[in-house]
Amino acid sequence: MAEKTFNLTRDMLDHTFADLVTPDREKLLTCIQCGTCTASCPTAYAMDYTPRQLWRLIQLGLKEEVLTSNSFWLCTACYLCTLRCLRGIACTETMSTLKRMAVSMGMEKLSSSARFYEAFRDTVRRHGRLHEVELMITFFGRAKRLGAIGYTRLGFTLWRKGKVSLDASAVNIRGLDQIEAIYRKVEELEAKP
Amino acid sequence: MRYSYMPGCSLLSTARGYDTSARAVVRELGSELVELEDWNCCGANAIESVSYLLSVALPARNLALAEQANRDLVTSCSSCFLNLFKVNHRLQREPALQGELDEILAVAGLRYRGKCRVRHLLDVVANDIGVEAVASRVKRNLSGLKVVPYYGCQTVRPYGEYDGPYLPTSMDRLIEAVGAEPFPYLWKTRCCGGVLMTTEKAIGMSLVSELLAAAQGADCIVTVCPMCQMNLDAYQGEISVQLGVRIRMPVLFLTQLLGLAFGLSEKELLLDQNIVPVSGLLRQLQTV
Repeated sequence: MAEKTFNLTRDMLDHTFADLVTPDREKLLTCIQCGTCTASCPTAYAMDYTPRQLWRLIQLGLKEEVLTSNSFWLCTACYLCTLRCLRGIACTETMSTLKRMAVSMGMEKLSSSARFYEAFRDTVRRHGRLHEVELMITFFGRAKRLGAIGYTRLGFTLWRKGKVSLDASAVNIRGLDQIEAIYRKVEELEAKP
Repeated sequence: MRYSYMPGCSLLSTARGYDTSARAVVRELGSELVELEDWNCCGANAIESVSYLLSVALPARNLALAEQANRDLVTSCSSCFLNLFKVNHRLQREPALQGELDEILAVAGLRYRGKCRVRHLLDVVANDIGVEAVASRVKRNLSGLKVVPYYGCQTVRPYGEYDGPYLPTSMDRLIEAVGAEPFPYLWKTRCCGGVLMTTEKAIGMSLVSELLAAAQGADCIVTVCPMCQMNLDAYQGEISVQLGVRIRMPVLFLTQLLGLAFGLSEKELLLDQNIVPVSGLLRQLQTV
């Protein structure tokens, strides 16, 4: 990506941002920009900002710039950056927090990923376990209808091989009421300020 | 030894061959996997991206159930392993979390005290059962077979609890134990892209292509993660078209390879469910 210049003004900066996005703000503030995270990241090449650049933007508190980028959406949670970070920054967990925050503020750039995670959450709520076919149908229904075409052949192969069943209720657990109660309780706790 | 066993959602569907072969191989080795009753989805990578508390509570329900059984909880899925293991880690690291978790699990009539030990199946086979016991069961010679030990990322990261988090060796040792040869592979724990294969396919395809390219020269890849197996196995046709090179690399679960060495049948290992056919590999085994 081409170099980008920011004219920093006081009202652009949000110094509380780092507090919100990482479990250990002190560590993130010690990032020395060595770039080990970026060198380790299998998807950095496709990111608007590499992980290294992202930490700097967070240090500066450039909230909107961070939250509207595609960077954290491409994090696969492979934990190589976390493993190697010289400063012990919880890089991967920070990426997850950014995903949650971007959705809660309606800033998600790669909405396909966000819709996928939500479809996953909703499928598990209904059955207690994941039903892959229902997940894919829900996801493609909500996010990218056309994208489904690329997967129909694979879906057929999986079905022919006996790998997937079309009956979602077959995966239902007995403790579905427990799962529903857990989901509700979590929603209640997370709604608290 | 008896273990509580949580196969995970993928092992009920796309990775049934993993579940079937894991149970058969562990039985052959004289241990027992007792399925945890009424286990639920661990949340995979998805739930932490939508809710932190749910990403703790879902695996914790399983841990609470397993704690009552008072045995180690073994899972064969790397994502389940990480999510379950992470609950224990977080409960130690975040003092306030226990209270919140208690409040959530109480609505399901459960409580988790943080006492259940979480194990990956690979850890159990390599370290509890051990390489010698595996070697002593070999009935079919796999010598000459060059096998890529592909661990994937979450099998060993971030905690590196039972093996190196960057270049692990437990699977290499098991491949050697059954007479095959571990193929030198520096990308043992490079990510397969996980869910990106669905949400951002071009990126997923490029990651998987690189992994497959680096494996050329080997006879097959083995893995211990259902997601890795699916990504490496299911898209080889499309990748071949994209690259203009025919790639047909069988991708087996480690337990399918061990099962072959133990003389178990193709049926018992559900090898016919693998997408890239393993028939060539089986013919090769007959000639050695």
